[in-house]
Amino acid sequence: MRAELRKLITARSTWLLLAIAQLIVVAGVSGLMLQRDDPASDDAQRGAIAHVGLVALFGLLIGILAVAGEYRHRTITDTFLARPHRDRVVLSKLVVAAGAGAVLGVVASATALITDAIWLAAKGLSIDLASGVLWRTVAGGIGWNIAFAAIGVGVGALITNLSAAVAAALGWLALVEGIVGELIGDASRWLPFALGQALVGLPNSADRPQAWQAGLVLVLYVAVFVAAGIGVTTRRDITH
Amino acid sequence: MTDVVLQGLTKRFGAVPAVRNLTCTMTPGVTGFLGPNGAGKTTTLRMLLGLVRPTAGTATVGGRRYADLPQPRRVVGALLDSTGFHPGRTGRQHLRISADQSGLPAARVATVLDQVDLGGAADRRVRGYSLGMRQRLGLATALLGDPEVLVLDEPANGLDPAGMAWLRGLLRDLGAEGRTVIISSHVLAEVRQTADRVVIVGEGTLRHTGPLDEMAGLEEEFLRLTGGVA
Repeated sequence: MRAELRKLITARSTWLLLAIAQLIVVAGVSGLMLQRDDPASDDAQRGAIAHVGLVALFGLLIGILAVAGEYRHRTITDTFLARPHRDRVVLSKLVVAAGAGAVLGVVASATALITDAIWLAAKGLSIDLASGVLWRTVAGGIGWNIAFAAIGVGVGALITNLSAAVAAALGWLALVEGIVGELIGDASRWLPFALGQALVGLPNSADRPQAWQAGLVLVLYVAVFVAAGIGVTTRRDITH
Repeated sequence: MTDVVLQGLTKRFGAVPAVRNLTCTMTPGVTGFLGPNGAGKTTTLRMLLGLVRPTAGTATVGGRRYADLPQPRRVVGALLDSTGFHPGRTGRQHLRISADQSGLPAARVATVLDQVDLGGAADRRVRGYSLGMRQRLGLATALLGDPEVLVLDEPANGLDPAGMAWLRGLLRDLGAEGRTVIISSHVLAEVRQTADRVVIVGEGTLRHTGPLDEMAGLEEEFLRLTGGVA
């Protein structure tokens, strides 16, 4: 576990992703605040803070890198020589990546709240820190980051070619989930990105899953991806 | 005193047989594990290390499969032909991670860095290492657990003449200490100077095993046994 943590913090990609995520949160929150005439409303505040959830994409990448990155640099050989019980290796990575997702979510939340407060102040308003919507959105955004980082570990264990894994993950989020959603109709609300949105209370309509339902189904996704990843990993020959 | 025992070891990749019914015992001292390219040397070593799953047969170290060793790095140290390092990490960071995940004390890192004479470059990123420095870092990793068994795939790769001389001394010392040192190589001249015994494989099967000094001429014998032209 400690080794996995050390791998994470000694990889510069981790810090780069964390930094870029903050820029995206600042830009996203600012864009929304500039656009809305009712920036202090629950709806606008939810929309602004929900950007914390969007950086779950970076959490997903951190999870993928934790596994597929080791195949990319062939350090996986050293890892499996040190720990021949590969299931435990994947589970350690799961725990560390989920923790990294939580940190990413918390830091992005701080960035979002500060950016939000500055924009409100600029408009002569102030942030309502007693708002339930605000904190539910923050909690949902952090949860989204944790879930996607954990799913990333499963994806990276299944698709060990780093470029292919990243392409598959980005392709799913940018394109495939939308197309699959059209094919399956109402069931599309149970697809991963839709569930992440539901965690932060989006879209603001009655027929999306409740946050707890969304969280539960995301945990199921994590379990399925990680179980499949472990199954494949324990059988795989490491030939180079 | 730990023996490495291969028993009916077999591996097929799809329809392609890489290793066929290989049985032999490697005892303390330096064993040259020889064969032409594609003879199944690397696949055999990877099966021994639990990285490749045998189709049939077993490979054991001191009677146990690698995965069943409670602390494998304290028993077996390995250097493989393409040992990977994250280019953005320093040599020291790499060894720290390796020690952590192997359950070895961090103090071993400085010891092995000294042992392979890499102390001066330890805090530079691996990206800037020469092939020889990477090879030394790989050897340092193999030595981390102070193991009784060393499995080294082409250890002389990338070393300059001074590095080769140093490696020869190191391997002889390790063998003399009663460790079981297995060196896979196709550089026969190098093996002749360090090995006590040889195991020769060709097309995935055992062709010869025995003490080096009983062989008339290593190269002639090697070529005869592996079907090359003398």
